[in-house]
Amino acid sequence: MKPDQQIPRNALVWIVISLFTLVAPHAGRIPLWVIGVYVFAAFWRIMVYQGRWSFPGRWVKAGLIISSFVGIYLSYGSLIGLEPTVALLLTAFALKLLELARRQDGYVLLFLGYFICITEFLFSQDLPIVVYSLLNVTVITTGLVALHRPGENQFNRKTIRLATVMLLQALPLMVVLFFLFPRIGPLWTVPIKSHTAKTGVSDFMKPGDISRLGKSDDVAFRAEFSGDIPLAADLYWRGLVFSVQEEGAWRSLRYYNIPATERRPRPVDTSGEPLAYQVIMEPTQQNWLYSLRYARPVSPGVMTGPDYVLFSPTELEDERLYTVESWPDAELEPELSEWRREIELRLPEGENPETVALARRLRSESESDAAFVDAVLGRFTRESFAYSLNPPLLPDLNPVDAFMFQTRNGFCEHYAAAFVVTMRAAGVPARVVAGYQGGEVNPVNRTVIVHQFDAHAWAEVWLAGRGWVRVDPTAAVSPDRVEWGLERALAAEGSFLSDSPLSLIHYRGVAWVNTLRLQYDALTYRWQGWVNGFNRDKQFQLLNDVFGGISARKFMLVLIGSWALILAPVAFSLLRRRERRATSPADRHYLAFCDKLSRVGVARETGETPEQYGARAARNMRPLAGQIEQITRLYSALAYRPLAVAEGRQNTLERELGRCVRDFRPGRR
Amino acid sequence: MLIIAINYQNNMSFALTFLLATLFVVGVLHTYANLSGLTIRALRASPAFPGQQSEFSVQLERGHQRDHYSLHLKWPDSSDAWVNLTDQDMVQVHLHLPVGQRGWYSPGRLLLESTYPLGLLRCWTWIDLDLCAMVYPQPLACPELPGLATDQPDGAAIPIAGSDDFYGFRDYREGDSLRQIHWKGLARGQGVQTKQYGAYADRCVWLDWEMFAGMGTERRLSHLCYWALQFESRDEEYGLRLPGLVLEPGIGERHRDRVLQALALYGLEGRPR
Repeated sequence: MKPDQQIPRNALVWIVISLFTLVAPHAGRIPLWVIGVYVFAAFWRIMVYQGRWSFPGRWVKAGLIISSFVGIYLSYGSLIGLEPTVALLLTAFALKLLELARRQDGYVLLFLGYFICITEFLFSQDLPIVVYSLLNVTVITTGLVALHRPGENQFNRKTIRLATVMLLQALPLMVVLFFLFPRIGPLWTVPIKSHTAKTGVSDFMKPGDISRLGKSDDVAFRAEFSGDIPLAADLYWRGLVFSVQEEGAWRSLRYYNIPATERRPRPVDTSGEPLAYQVIMEPTQQNWLYSLRYARPVSPGVMTGPDYVLFSPTELEDERLYTVESWPDAELEPELSEWRREIELRLPEGENPETVALARRLRSESESDAAFVDAVLGRFTRESFAYSLNPPLLPDLNPVDAFMFQTRNGFCEHYAAAFVVTMRAAGVPARVVAGYQGGEVNPVNRTVIVHQFDAHAWAEVWLAGRGWVRVDPTAAVSPDRVEWGLERALAAEGSFLSDSPLSLIHYRGVAWVNTLRLQYDALTYRWQGWVNGFNRDKQFQLLNDVFGGISARKFMLVLIGSWALILAPVAFSLLRRRERRATSPADRHYLAFCDKLSRVGVARETGETPEQYGARAARNMRPLAGQIEQITRLYSALAYRPLAVAEGRQNTLERELGRCVRDFRPGRR
Repeated sequence: MLIIAINYQNNMSFALTFLLATLFVVGVLHTYANLSGLTIRALRASPAFPGQQSEFSVQLERGHQRDHYSLHLKWPDSSDAWVNLTDQDMVQVHLHLPVGQRGWYSPGRLLLESTYPLGLLRCWTWIDLDLCAMVYPQPLACPELPGLATDQPDGAAIPIAGSDDFYGFRDYREGDSLRQIHWKGLARGQGVQTKQYGAYADRCVWLDWEMFAGMGTERRLSHLCYWALQFESRDEEYGLRLPGLVLEPGIGERHRDRVLQALALYGLEGRPR
């Protein structure tokens, strides 16, 4: 094999390292046996390097490929979709190591590595992943550099340094390109993440659903208000409205069950100053967007449903940024249509008879619907109802009766559901609303961080003349929940995030941990807002602001100009001729003299002594012979007879040599 | 990768794609820098017979303190050489390539290229070095050295036309040069006689251009070359006489090289450029 085809040991080591660093972030997503393939392939290749084993034969390779296809199919039940494709790619990446014999194979492997870096971004674009991927790119680039250092078998710090330097030099160019490169829409539809679990509030609610979310400290979304942040007790983030009760669960109306005339939300009187805020939601794989009532979306691509909730036509696979304006005091649906009233009053026949009877009795004792609402809430407050993250299970038959009269222990969804059943039984239109309540204000950047444990369910009742009014029965049971959040509400029970003892939320009391956590959260928000949320509109706006209008000409000028600015110092530092290091002033003067001579075509030959060179130069330029001889004599004295030069005379001689060289001006012959 | 970024509208994929693209751009500079600051000196080229390989030696010297890797040197027909300049400031490279006809062989321009550090692009340059290999005549065997008996005793004269040492008279034959007629003898009434000139055959042998009279230049040189090598291998002294050039008899490598050089360069104007 030609030497330029061989794979240096260093390159092999870097390639194997990159293999494992690349697969690491995917590890939780792929079947465990794929990791096994990595270990197996690396082991085999090292054995080949040591000369103990040989490369696999054609049939072995074919067998490995077929079995990995079968394995992926068995693990995922399909070969189509993002996850199986990525898993297949990762397996192929490992197996390619068994073919790594020539430099070309190294290219294939390393470029595949860059590609695998990108696939990681399809799953997450979080800051830690991005930083980690940058490290991965450095490792791959180092492998690429090492591939071109034939015969290098010792670890060489310079290899990784060169790769890092090149990447750092490329980084500013990349930033320019990132902001300038025109963003166009997707060219075709691509496989989506099919196996990722949906997170957050789901589109139907069974008892226990929200308390499950209450055990998670993941961030649901972050909101940034342009004005003052409302009180935590007023932060009711509406996500879904559940109007239908069936089979023990609450769910929202299906779009096709809504008559055409009811599909558009009724206009709302929006007078007064709105609350303006921007929300960045974590990916949920669902459509719901959260907002304070009454919300009108400012960002494009956000729709409003007939019950005034916001939703996105596509599922949220990545972080989603949207801007909203809210009028919290606006009246919602002051006039209720017949169809809507009928829907919001419907109850399954004959269920929860005791609750129904109680509701009718309380209503008859109250003067108005509003007084009835207060009476029911008062009952929750007075009677021994308890708020708990781990309530006892309710029977399938008449669960609300069991809750109201026996267990009296539940999470917000139990109270919301029981309250709405009570309202409907007495003929007051009511519905369950699911979303989040409250949030943690980050003092670093004034954002509201809403965690999954802030998930909440409450009720809305329709009162004549006031429209839909928010009623939170949980607040009647546990006011702390609404004012201070779940942690305070569950302080007595001690169940807050008890399943995740390592959660940083537990260490809110430790000042520096909390500061770090909030700083990091602010960074995450900034990152999401600026880089992940950078889309065509943002780009257009930015370019418009900075350059005042966009044209192809301007685009090219800016691109070329900025690149030239960045590349010029790089090129200068790379290509400038470094001075040969002269050890003594005499050498320096003499080298300057040689340079002057070589510029007029009399370069010093290899191995030519100063005497020989001087003689030759003198022959070539008769008029300057005297000067040349003098310089040569001075230099020879300084360089070769240092002992003959008296102490103290040396400096004089050096100065004289310097002066002679300065005065030496060979004209072009 | 760009297609993935566009289709998934994934900003970090855009960023990574652009990072790789710009890495390529930076790589252009680094690849160029890998060749910059190098000085190439022609050292020597070993002489060779036609069809043989001559060794061309060049020296690479770096002008920067930077390490240079994966430098590929090659003449169009030569063997390849890959060198790194890392620990030492200069390195000698020997390339072999087959030479052509008798005389000076110029290998053309030397290719210096490198794909370091990324292998994505190639930077190359063609260098015109003033480096020529001498090509000797093709030795061509002939069974006998005409007009030469190598086993004659010392001092025996052999008549070789065109020599200038007089050694005797003989009767005039038709065709003899008028200048060689012994006019003084004719005046004394000794009849028409012709002066004969000749050379003394020593232990040494003279390889003479005229030995192969009637043949073409190249053929003569080839035969002379063959015999020079023959005598050299037999350890016998030999001299060379070419029109306008005489090399005194001698033996040894230096002598052989001088003889071969004279044969190689016979009739050629200086070094080609």
